[in-house]
Amino acid sequence: MLHFFSDIFQYQFILNAFLAALLVSIAAGIVGSYIVARRLVFLSGGITHASFGGIGIAYYLGFNPILGAAIFAVITAFGIESLSSKYNVREDSAIGIMWSVGMAIGIFFVFLTPGYAPNLMSFLFGSILTVTKQDVFLLLGLDLAMIIFFILFYYPILYLAFDANYARTQRVPEKVFSYILMAFVTVTIVLSIRLVGIILLISLLTVPPTIANLFTKKFKYLIYSSILIGFVGTITGLMVSHGLNVPSGTTIILALIFMFLIARLIRLIMDKVISIKQLSKN
Amino acid sequence: MGKIFEFTSVSAGYDDEIVLKDVNFTVWDNDFVGVIGPNGGGKTTLLKLILGEIKPKRGTIKYFKHEPNEVLFGYLPQVIGIDKKFPISVMEVVLSGLLGRKGIMGRYTGHDKRLALNLLQRMEIQHLKDKAIGELSGGQMQRVFLCRALISHPRLLILDEPNTFVDNKFEKELYELLQELNKEMAIIMVSHDLGTITTHVKTIACVNRQLHYHPSNLITTDQLAAYDCPIQIIAHGPVPHTVLHKH
Ligand SMILES: Nc1ncnc2c1ncn2[C@@H]1O[C@H](COP(=O)(O)OP(=O)(O)OP(=O)(O)O)[C@@H](O)[C@H]1O
Ligand SMILES: [Mg+2]
Repeated sequence: MLHFFSDIFQYQFILNAFLAALLVSIAAGIVGSYIVARRLVFLSGGITHASFGGIGIAYYLGFNPILGAAIFAVITAFGIESLSSKYNVREDSAIGIMWSVGMAIGIFFVFLTPGYAPNLMSFLFGSILTVTKQDVFLLLGLDLAMIIFFILFYYPILYLAFDANYARTQRVPEKVFSYILMAFVTVTIVLSIRLVGIILLISLLTVPPTIANLFTKKFKYLIYSSILIGFVGTITGLMVSHGLNVPSGTTIILALIFMFLIARLIRLIMDKVISIKQLSKN
Repeated sequence: MGKIFEFTSVSAGYDDEIVLKDVNFTVWDNDFVGVIGPNGGGKTTLLKLILGEIKPKRGTIKYFKHEPNEVLFGYLPQVIGIDKKFPISVMEVVLSGLLGRKGIMGRYTGHDKRLALNLLQRMEIQHLKDKAIGELSGGQMQRVFLCRALISHPRLLILDEPNTFVDNKFEKELYELLQELNKEMAIIMVSHDLGTITTHVKTIACVNRQLHYHPSNLITTDQLAAYDCPIQIIAHGPVPHTVLHKH
């Protein structure tokens, strides 16, 4: 496993994977904190899984699967929005529908494609072999855009998420913000697919903020610590994946879950200590 | 002293249902209007119209701003649908009241934080400033949202049943505070407690599908009946006598 660091400089693909992990942690930390705070996890899960439809079609027609995923992710995000607002379908039902329809389309086209689909497993469970230089640059662009947006508009983002009705009375353009944020969520999901895969992606977004939430109740710190936790988790996962030749999505998620268990234990001990202190004071 | 807003024959409602019909209503600086009326009469709808959350189906609402970007209102909603697990501190919630004044790229200064702290102190909850909002009791939360409504020092303070959840002692202090604030801002307050309304407000608006404006804080049962405003007069210390006085 320790070859990992010496291999970074020897093999381009490992360097790519390392950089992608670093950059994905930033995007996932920001987006993850946002979707956890706003309870958009199920929606994000739906977008993630439905994007498989685009991957299937891309296989069949022979174009870049990530592009296919991106198109489907956007269609899904808008589809859920219009199903629930215009056609009066309850939102979670709309998500459930889009989720499985996307998967169904994907599998349909994968089976229609003649021959063997070589990289299919890597789209489902992630693979460090498939990360390209282009992915790294795309992620870098996404991170920069998102960091700037969140620094400039941190307060309207926070206050819209907390109480949109009140923010509206304060003349915050709610629609514009929610579309931009939804776009960030969608792009982050699509660009994380190579590293962690569709099936496991949602944990990359939700586990770091869940761990951070054990120790902080402030949105800002939630974002910072999620990025850090995500980074430790993805790098550990990559090392294990490289050493044992297991899909990177699997090892990253397991590393994150392991961190969650440790964090839970630390929290438990902290609570005990604090309550003993308080009791002895009285 | 100038006008803040003016309704001219406004009708409004939801989907195909008309809730308020042909409302004429003007509020001036330093007014203190008590809004009364039965459940479902349209009080909250009236406030949402003022705030621009819903648009009139007919008629016009005109605002008289001193400058085009002025945020006129501080608002305490009747029902605050918040997520109790949301990661936000009490202090941040209070500061969110300044959002309109600051604009979407605004930054908060030490001065803003001191303002917030002063308000929290007035509401006797300064020790809770770093707590997550979801960890507060109902009455404590109501006080935080009052701070949020007040911090921008609005020209018009809109309160939808501010006395829900809070204890008697705080309710009394709240009305004293409102008296003081009224020297500097107009206030519109919805309440079901006619006793408190008549002792603290200057004028009364009876809302029951229509709006009847009563330019005094004394109102008789006969007048209430004439306004088609069947609200109960609750016995409340010596207050009911003034309520029942003819004037
Ligand atoms: N979002 C909504 N969609 C559809 N109808 C609504 C909505 N909000 C209120 N109504 C209807 O409008 C009418 C007036 O409601 P409103 O909330 O203004 O009453 P209110 O006077 O504030 O009552 P309360 O004393 O119970 O607070 C009610 O009949 C209600 O059913
Ligand atoms: Mg109401």
